[in-house]
Amino acid sequence: MAAVQETIDQVRLLDVDQYKYGFETEIETDLAPKGLDEDIIRFISAKKDEPEWMLEWRLGAFRRWLTLTEPNWARVDYPKIDFQDIHYYAAPKNQTGPRSLDEVDPELLRVYEKLGIPLREQEILAGVQKDVDSEEPSDNVYASGRVAVDAVFDSISVVTTFKEELAKSGVIFCSISEAVREHPELVKKYLGTVVPTTDNYYATLNSAVFTDGSFVYIPKGVRCPMELSTYFRINEKNTGQFERTLIIADEGSYVSYLEGCTAPQRDENQLHAAVVELIALDDAEIKYSTVQNWYPGDKQGKGGIYNFVTKRGDCRGKNSKISWTQVETGSAITWKYPSCILRGDGSQGEFYSIAVSNGHQQIDSGTKMIHLGKNTRSRIISKGISAGKSSNTYRGQVSIHRRAENARNFTNCDSLLIGNDCGAHTVPYIEAKNSTAKVEHEATTSKISEDQLFYVMQRGVPEEEAIALIVNGFVKDVIQELPMEFAVEAQKLIGISLEGSVG
Amino acid sequence: MNIHASATLTPAEAALVDGFAQRVSELAGDAGVALNRDNAIEAIKNGLPTRRVEAWHYTDLRRLLNAVPSFDPAARPAALKPLLEGSAVLSVSNGVGGVIASVDGVEIERFQDLLLAGDARAALAPADSADAIAAINTALVSDGFALAVPAGADIATPIELQNLQAGGQVHARFPVTVGAGARVTVIERQAGTGDTLASSVTTLDVADGAEVLYVVVQEQGEGASHLGQMRITLGKDSKLTLFLMNIGAKLVRQDLVIAARGEGSDFNLRGVNLLGGDTHCDVTMVLDHLAPHTTSTEIIRNVITDRAHGVFQGQIRVARDAQKTDAKMACNTLLLSDDAEFSTKPELEIFADDVACGHGATVTEIDNDHLFYLMARGVDEKTGRAMLIKAFLAEIIEELESEELVAVLEAKLDDWFAKHA
Repeated sequence: MAAVQETIDQVRLLDVDQYKYGFETEIETDLAPKGLDEDIIRFISAKKDEPEWMLEWRLGAFRRWLTLTEPNWARVDYPKIDFQDIHYYAAPKNQTGPRSLDEVDPELLRVYEKLGIPLREQEILAGVQKDVDSEEPSDNVYASGRVAVDAVFDSISVVTTFKEELAKSGVIFCSISEAVREHPELVKKYLGTVVPTTDNYYATLNSAVFTDGSFVYIPKGVRCPMELSTYFRINEKNTGQFERTLIIADEGSYVSYLEGCTAPQRDENQLHAAVVELIALDDAEIKYSTVQNWYPGDKQGKGGIYNFVTKRGDCRGKNSKISWTQVETGSAITWKYPSCILRGDGSQGEFYSIAVSNGHQQIDSGTKMIHLGKNTRSRIISKGISAGKSSNTYRGQVSIHRRAENARNFTNCDSLLIGNDCGAHTVPYIEAKNSTAKVEHEATTSKISEDQLFYVMQRGVPEEEAIALIVNGFVKDVIQELPMEFAVEAQKLIGISLEGSVG
Repeated sequence: MNIHASATLTPAEAALVDGFAQRVSELAGDAGVALNRDNAIEAIKNGLPTRRVEAWHYTDLRRLLNAVPSFDPAARPAALKPLLEGSAVLSVSNGVGGVIASVDGVEIERFQDLLLAGDARAALAPADSADAIAAINTALVSDGFALAVPAGADIATPIELQNLQAGGQVHARFPVTVGAGARVTVIERQAGTGDTLASSVTTLDVADGAEVLYVVVQEQGEGASHLGQMRITLGKDSKLTLFLMNIGAKLVRQDLVIAARGEGSDFNLRGVNLLGGDTHCDVTMVLDHLAPHTTSTEIIRNVITDRAHGVFQGQIRVARDAQKTDAKMACNTLLLSDDAEFSTKPELEIFADDVACGHGATVTEIDNDHLFYLMARGVDEKTGRAMLIKAFLAEIIEELESEELVAVLEAKLDDWFAKHA
């Protein structure tokens, strides 16, 4: 069955020429010279006022990177990147690091305002929750003003809100540059322990030249009192953004973290190579949500961001949990596999994804669930929708190691094609080495809906409506994994039904 | 010989290259065939595929094929009694076509004769650089049988092709063409004793409206290596049921390459793999839906115990024009020991927007609830487990229409269970 009109219209709303965040901001910028060598790394490190060990760490990664070759196994196709033709550092002038709100350049604040992220702190009265219903329906999660935001503009974090509020609970939320200076013991202990500097081509490059990103530490037993968020904006031409995020949830803690990103509309491609590391200790839980909306390029496939990202969570402690939710609509090329290493006994990993590709976009995304500990559980729900001339690939791995007794995995990935010039692909790798493991993988729609369809239809609902009803209900399951206020961008996707989908 | 390359050859690669040098003068073929053989052996000199080659991700042939016995002229097993009584038997023993029954209405030729006449040349070239099985087979193939079922023929007698070994190495080919509207049942047995290396390539062309049941039973010796390949094309409204059973050998790789070219063609694959000991068995299928309204179903069932490693890679590709394709693939595995291992990669590559494609894969142990149900009714645990495993596989076998064939294949299951209790 082909896609229904409603679905086609919804996907059209997300088409590449509808990109809303393509404006450019004229702002005086401090630029490192183009090119990449040890001097540039020293320059970045000096700009960030980093201790010697950090510089050594970067240089070690850089030397390693020089020995690596670009991976070519993904189903993406792009001209070779000239790594010497990129500025590895770009920061608004007179802005060397995050400051308090009133010190930030008003021009920058206006940029974020325009993006719908007012960087104001709304007072939260102690013990008094605002009545959500009485508020005007807010446009997005940030507008409510009750989310702590780390705003990263090109290579630096310009401001982090609610820091003091969070500090009261012992939560550390700051830019990674600040963490390197202020909390070196934590950074040293955890940085690179999930994604080592030797991990892969782009992660190694990132380790050498990362500029900014967020650092989160939730102390033992603390439930983070508000949503944490980082908003990444690429503005300057010919730059690459190399963000580095590190989140540590200590024993028994909980945090929900959101990530958003946009970039101006340009004819050139820009590189975004990020590394995100999550660490959950005993009984801790991290919920990581992304709405990825980098500039996808134009109708002809010109321009757009290359989003080559390494995201990995380590369920290091027993009964810990890491949950990835992503809504992917942007970027010219996406190469991204948020994964979970289920090391602690009884730990859980989840991956919920909706990936929509339009125009000439190419997405190769998925997840890895590596079951090492006993009684570990993982769940993968992935929905891919491709339209235009795009290509949308789910690539995933479920690996049950020898000692992962009673490990359990459920995977479901569906995709839908709209039009005849796009492609949808599913490449799951499933490896089981323990006989008590139970692994289920499915990629059929009929299996989900045949009985349900019959049930709904015999109550007089026409087939197409019945399918829409069931599938929307199912997609909602994924959307519901997003923090409630975060859903506006995602809501556009709720309308997309997946009837006629293929595995 | 390329001295630089040979310096890095593994013992198995070197044995293949040396075996070729020794036997090349005895191998049949005209000048064109000889050129094909030379090209193929050059490809082997570049190294057998490792896990870095995606098609061989779970079967690192370079590492796993660690010994290649040299050709043994004395290893000539006698023809086997056919699985189905009354079958016409065509038997290749140690790479030489011997027993040749005649079947009314079917043209039968020895592959050796096709090699000599140069008629086989076109089909000899490997598909690509990762096509190690065709390369090995092309370099070293000695004989086999070519079957041609003419259009409209309805062949009631099952035809059994046997590729028999008793050590050493053998390389056979079986080109089969089935004319428009014809019907036939073919059974291919890869059987033997000893630590043989056997390669076997079957090409099967099913013309418009033809209907074929093709059964492959691989029951080689416990230390043997089996490298099998089937290349299949399906014509308009044709129907092929391919049944695969692996119950032998230590290293098995079976490539199934299917092109559903004709509109309305129907392909059904059923596979039963019983793996014990140190067996490594890899069934890799690439199915291309190239025309509209084509249908396919694949069900693979594996039972893996001891230290065995089972692999199923299934790739379904749906071309832009192949609208209304309906393709379903399932792979279910029972993993019965803690040292056993199973890996699967069920891939879909879809370019048409109005299709129904799906795949499912499960890996699990015997369901304790099911076992409990039986035990609560007085069945002891061991018997109960055996019943459940058998039921898991018999479900697939019993889909076959011929009761006689079902009985014979189930008897093979029982033999295997008796050995691997």
